[in-house]
Amino acid sequence: MPDLHGFGGQILSGAFTTLEVALTSLIFGLVIGLLGATAKLGPIKGMRVLAGAYTTIIRGIPELLIILILYFGGTVVLSTLYGDYVEVNAFTAGVFSLSIVFGAYATEVFRAAILAIPRGQIEAAHALGLGPVLTFRLVMFPQMLRYALPGLGNLWLSLLKDTALISVVGLEDLMRKASVAAGTTHDPLTFYAVAAALYLSFTSVSLAGLNVLELHANRGVRVLGGERR
Amino acid sequence: MNNQLDVCECDDDQQVPPVALHVVNLRKSFGELEVIKGISLVARKGDVISILGSSGSGKSTLLRCLNFLERPDDGEIWISGRRIAAGPGLAGQREINALRINLGMVFQNFNLWQHKTALENIVEAPIHMLGLSKHEAQLRAEQLLAKVGLADKRDFYPSHLSGGQQQRVAIARALAMEPEILLFDEPTSALDPELVGDVLNVIRALASEGRTMLIVTHELGFARQVSNRIIFLHHGQIEEEASPSVFFADPKSARVKQFLSSQREAFAHA
Repeated sequence: MPDLHGFGGQILSGAFTTLEVALTSLIFGLVIGLLGATAKLGPIKGMRVLAGAYTTIIRGIPELLIILILYFGGTVVLSTLYGDYVEVNAFTAGVFSLSIVFGAYATEVFRAAILAIPRGQIEAAHALGLGPVLTFRLVMFPQMLRYALPGLGNLWLSLLKDTALISVVGLEDLMRKASVAAGTTHDPLTFYAVAAALYLSFTSVSLAGLNVLELHANRGVRVLGGERR
Repeated sequence: MNNQLDVCECDDDQQVPPVALHVVNLRKSFGELEVIKGISLVARKGDVISILGSSGSGKSTLLRCLNFLERPDDGEIWISGRRIAAGPGLAGQREINALRINLGMVFQNFNLWQHKTALENIVEAPIHMLGLSKHEAQLRAEQLLAKVGLADKRDFYPSHLSGGQQQRVAIARALAMEPEILLFDEPTSALDPELVGDVLNVIRALASEGRTMLIVTHELGFARQVSNRIIFLHHGQIEEEASPSVFFADPKSARVKQFLSSQREAFAHA
């Protein structure tokens, strides 16, 4: 990376933080999404209602607000609990907020994907004596990936860019580093352009990776045009 | 139940084969509609029983109740001396899985897993349910694929196989679990006519091996040829149970006579 008025290293470390937040949130978000979808399609009414309320509320509020509420709300709650002022770590608040946002959308993506699996595929597993866990692992999960990947890809791109919102609570991410550098050097265009280029490179690499994943998930499926994959 | 001894009629010296499956007073309703109204039947080892009836008579539901793909409301199922009670909540998942391992099922729509090759479709259940090593399971799968005439298709995905080939892989998948009884749910109904023959030949070969099978089918000629007993369902009850020769030549029930003549008419028009 060029010198950038001496801010090159700063920008790089910000980019690293951005990736760290995004990947951590992705992992938690995927787990939340799977649990949410299972709850929504499950037999227990209480869980269905709970999961429904979760996705309705989280998807209905701007992400920025969720980050602010969790950051400041978390500070208040923890301070009350400990009886002393506790400041929530920006990284933790950020990962927490982005995970539950990603999880809410992923719940719907996974739910649709599970519903898209032909019933006979699951019955065949049951008829062979495979229990619910094996049926999920061997038959449902690989097949739902096929339906879920395009949606999850979109969510991942949003997540990657939404990390920029966490700079408002002080996370030293790419966005914040760029903005500080822009302010200090009075050269905003350079730094914002560099930040944009970095975000774009992350998303481009992601898209290439997603294509590979989709090819794998679609094995055995005839695609339009009859090309064998 | 008066026909259950037909099997040994031919040879009095021979011992009656042991009972493989005993169904007692099975019932199943969907909401208000009672689909299976207290069906009892016995299948002895080596029996090939064809289950006939017009659509809506409950024949597929009966088969699906046997392995709990539909949970029966009442009655009991005995397999090799082990009893499983059918009331709601009576049978646990473990009992049901143990039952299913003994009942191989072949579906109308094959239901091969689309993301797995022919070989992969066959090996999963033996590995996970019978504890076979990957190598053992593959050997078994290759033998079975050869048996159904598809040795060269082991690495093909289902979407690249014809319906008849898919159904034969599905039969191999069921056989890989070495079940005591095979259940066929209209195995040729989703096939193009010219592909039916291959599948029927495989089932015929299984019958001649002495496997115990219950076959729901619309192929009357095949049923007559392959089975030693015919069960005719009507409105969720066994309307007639007889050997094929009696059933097709001299059925007692008026409903069966009507069914057979309508089938003949359909063939005449075809």
